[in-house]
Amino acid sequence: MNISLSTITIHQDPLGLRDLPLLKPDTDGWTTIRQALEEQQARQRKQRSAITWLAVAASMVLAVIVTTRQSGIEQPLAKPVATQSTDLASVDNMDKVHSLISLSQTLESQLRNIREETGSIPANSAVYIAELEDLVAQVDTELSYSPDSVSLWGQRVNLLLDLAQIYQHHWETEYGQMASL
Amino acid sequence: MAHSGFDIEIDDFTLAGAKRGDMGACERIYRLYQAPAFTVAVRVCRCRELAQEVTQEAFITAFRRIGQFRGDAPFWGWLRRVVINHAISALRRQPKAEIVEFEEYQAWDPGEHDQIGMAMGLESALQELSDEDRTIVWLHDVEGYKHQEIAKFFGKTESFSKTRLARARKRLRGLIESAISDPIANAIA
Repeated sequence: MNISLSTITIHQDPLGLRDLPLLKPDTDGWTTIRQALEEQQARQRKQRSAITWLAVAASMVLAVIVTTRQSGIEQPLAKPVATQSTDLASVDNMDKVHSLISLSQTLESQLRNIREETGSIPANSAVYIAELEDLVAQVDTELSYSPDSVSLWGQRVNLLLDLAQIYQHHWETEYGQMASL
Repeated sequence: MAHSGFDIEIDDFTLAGAKRGDMGACERIYRLYQAPAFTVAVRVCRCRELAQEVTQEAFITAFRRIGQFRGDAPFWGWLRRVVINHAISALRRQPKAEIVEFEEYQAWDPGEHDQIGMAMGLESALQELSDEDRTIVWLHDVEGYKHQEIAKFFGKTESFSKTRLARARKRLRGLIESAISDPIANAIA
């Protein structure tokens, strides 16, 4: 048994390279490694919270859209009733506008953070981003004439969510590439 | 029998901690495998400075991807593959690195002088080999990889690995023999 083992060893390492001692680096690399890992963990936490926030925002937009549509269906039935209900509807309308405005503002600030965190964007995504930003600018122009339009504010929020989705997709692709290294 | 130094088992607790991103567990792993990782990186890259960069990059990648380690094979084998892949790609990025550094060994007692001389002879002979030949002979003879696995690292065929190994061993033998037969000439050279 011993003979065959040593034969295998000689066959595998005839020059005795395994007898060379282990080498040690001149400096300790742990600090650099730790720093890189902590930076990545912080980035992931930020991205995770941004994604969670966007998911919440998306569900809020959906809720607003569904409510708007439902009230749109109910409006013709409500018309014959007195003016008081029209006032109530306008109050309700203003609530929706306010919630969409605050949603839009929060999305804007989230997008600012996302843009800062994101490195270079592929050309095709950059084209979509530019188109969406143009559309946001168009909606903003229309909003300057009718600032209380639920539909316009809804459009604005949707466009911002589309923008966020492009960045999210970019992160996922980037993470996938990093994981396959 | 001496070995590559990598085959150190790690406990499940440390591994689970590293998977959770616990820095203490990551540091334990780093301390355990730092020397074997650096050794293989030096053997492939032939440059301590580059090997140090490669080792750090490899550990960062390994800790980022540790969640992908399924546990159906030893952890050290997985980690070693990450280090070798990093070292080979660093070599591809800097194929013409001419920094050759010889390892210096010190003998602590007179009986060690022969061993030290032998080790230094092997060291300088290794430096004479081409990057691919040196890597292949190290991966096969020291790390115990099969030709099929070595071929995969280089994206080439098994016969490429076999041919290069035979050539590298022949060259190494020649270099060692000439160093033994003419030590003064070699010392001057």
